[in-house]
Amino acid sequence: MNRRTVSGLLVVGCSAVVACVVGIPVLISGISPAMRSRQQSWRPVGDLSNFPTGKVSRGIISADQNAWPRTFGEQSVFVWRRSEADLVVFSRSCTDLGCPLEHEPGSGCFLCPCHGGIFAPDGHRLAGPASSPMHRYSHRIREEVLEIDVASIPPAS
Amino acid sequence: MLSKSLRWIVDRFGLRPIWDHVLDRNVPKDPWYHGDGMALLVLLTVLVITGVFLSMGYSPAVDEAYQSVEYITHQQTLGWFVRGLHYWSGGMMVVMLFLHVCRQLMLGGYKSPREATWLIGVMLLAIVLTTSLLGYVLRWDQRGYYGLRALLATLQNVPGLGERLVFLTQGGPEITSLTLSRMFALHVVLVPLVLLLLVGYHVYLVILHGTTTLADRKEPIETVEEQRELYHEQAEHPVKGEVFFPTAFIKISPWSIVALTLSIGLTLTFGPRELMAPASERIASPVSEEWWFAWYSALVALLPPSVAPTFQWLIPIATFFCLVLLPFVDRSPMRGWRNRPVATTLVVLMVVAILALSWLRHQSPWTAHLAIHPPATPQGVILAAEAEQGRMLFQQYGCTSCHSVAGSGHANVGTDLARMDSIYSQTELRQYILHPPRGVAMPDYAERIPEDDLERVVAFVLVAQTFRRTQE
Repeated sequence: MNRRTVSGLLVVGCSAVVACVVGIPVLISGISPAMRSRQQSWRPVGDLSNFPTGKVSRGIISADQNAWPRTFGEQSVFVWRRSEADLVVFSRSCTDLGCPLEHEPGSGCFLCPCHGGIFAPDGHRLAGPASSPMHRYSHRIREEVLEIDVASIPPAS
Repeated sequence: MLSKSLRWIVDRFGLRPIWDHVLDRNVPKDPWYHGDGMALLVLLTVLVITGVFLSMGYSPAVDEAYQSVEYITHQQTLGWFVRGLHYWSGGMMVVMLFLHVCRQLMLGGYKSPREATWLIGVMLLAIVLTTSLLGYVLRWDQRGYYGLRALLATLQNVPGLGERLVFLTQGGPEITSLTLSRMFALHVVLVPLVLLLLVGYHVYLVILHGTTTLADRKEPIETVEEQRELYHEQAEHPVKGEVFFPTAFIKISPWSIVALTLSIGLTLTFGPRELMAPASERIASPVSEEWWFAWYSALVALLPPSVAPTFQWLIPIATFFCLVLLPFVDRSPMRGWRNRPVATTLVVLMVVAILALSWLRHQSPWTAHLAIHPPATPQGVILAAEAEQGRMLFQQYGCTSCHSVAGSGHANVGTDLARMDSIYSQTELRQYILHPPRGVAMPDYAERIPEDDLERVVAFVLVAQTFRRTQE
């Protein structure tokens, strides 16, 4: 190896070290949100009395407006009270691409405005490209208030 | 005096080499329609300029973003023009880029020695399509929000990595202000930076390796040396060659003029893209993607459920890798669309498919709409009391969301009652409504419809299925 090759390698080596010293921390910091995990997070949907038996009603989960990072507005769910004690809480998102489902009270179906997803009153798929039934949240009742665990369905649903 | 100052400027600012190697170079004569690349440069310039000024009025926080866009559009002086031009030249760029890629596919523009030019181009295609989605997410209206949701849902289906990719895009486990900051950083800082660097490199390679000339298409060219020799022979030829600036430059400018005129014209005619309601999960909204993604939306709608979750992310990735591999797979020495019947046919089919799918998305025959009116009775038809009550119930039980009746109603999901395959009997209709056959997208009404109501609905359907036939 002659002198020029050695100096060349030295320059390239030093530049690589500088690139790593700057680049690796930046990259780790930027990617770090991907490594976070979701924790159970119980949020109130409303008083049990808001959800009449035998009907599907809308429920709204409000976000904590003082928390940082600021959570995006409100999430919407469907509460289906099959009987006095038996509740199902559906996510409003279509299991295909997350479009907002509409409840059609007459047929009891859930209609997707995007790609033709139609779900039966019990949440199973009737039509459209969605491959899974509507997502159901884990729920509990605390002092007559319905609460759901927002982390109990996949993150982008 | 003037020429002395000019010479000083040329010398000290190092303009001579640019003049010699870029503007004053000889190129083979090109047909006028080879200016699609230049049009993309013009559109990129417009996008960068309008984008910089849009970013000055924009606030990337979930509770402020929408308002800031509203402010730009309605309050800021000429803000509507800046936002309109950014929107329309962005849409125009997607279209022009598509044409640019189609032309190279038909021509064989990726063949040696232009493989690297092509590879950089494929990267640019991927970046432009991605940023064209991120751009309208920033509006933070219903369209933008559900565009983001569709992106996240698609990423989630990537096996093994899904949740990580969603968190990476969102900037955490939920959609927060950080999500919008990330979109902003990507669309406004990172993408333009990378885009300008790569476009510069792409143009440098175009100048270095030239373009596919008319002579290239006459006969098969086996080697790089042969191609280069032919290119320079053409360029320096007194008849077959010409100087780039201004002769070739002017000749290839029509595309740029058209693209720019259209962008400005559309801005003045339609203004910026109308804002939908602010991003919210609370309201009902007819969500849809921007028009340049309509064909993909239709494609996604047509996927059978068994493959949909995989194909949604696989189609873009697979297309990207196919394009990357193309120059290494297609080793044929033929160039020019006349010599490449397979490529030409495929491109024509692709264009037809994209137009057809876009139209299909516009129709969206698969979508059930909440209908608020009962179906109309054809003129001159008077229903018996029971059937008339059935007509009202037909709407109340949500049947109108999917079924039209003799063309009355917008629904196309279920069969039009007047166009069923056969005339059903009363018993058959009862059975069908209570227990629809498996695989039919109709909920069963057993235990959900009182006997009286069922009787009336059946009475209506019995008559309705003869509507068209009585009219004919």
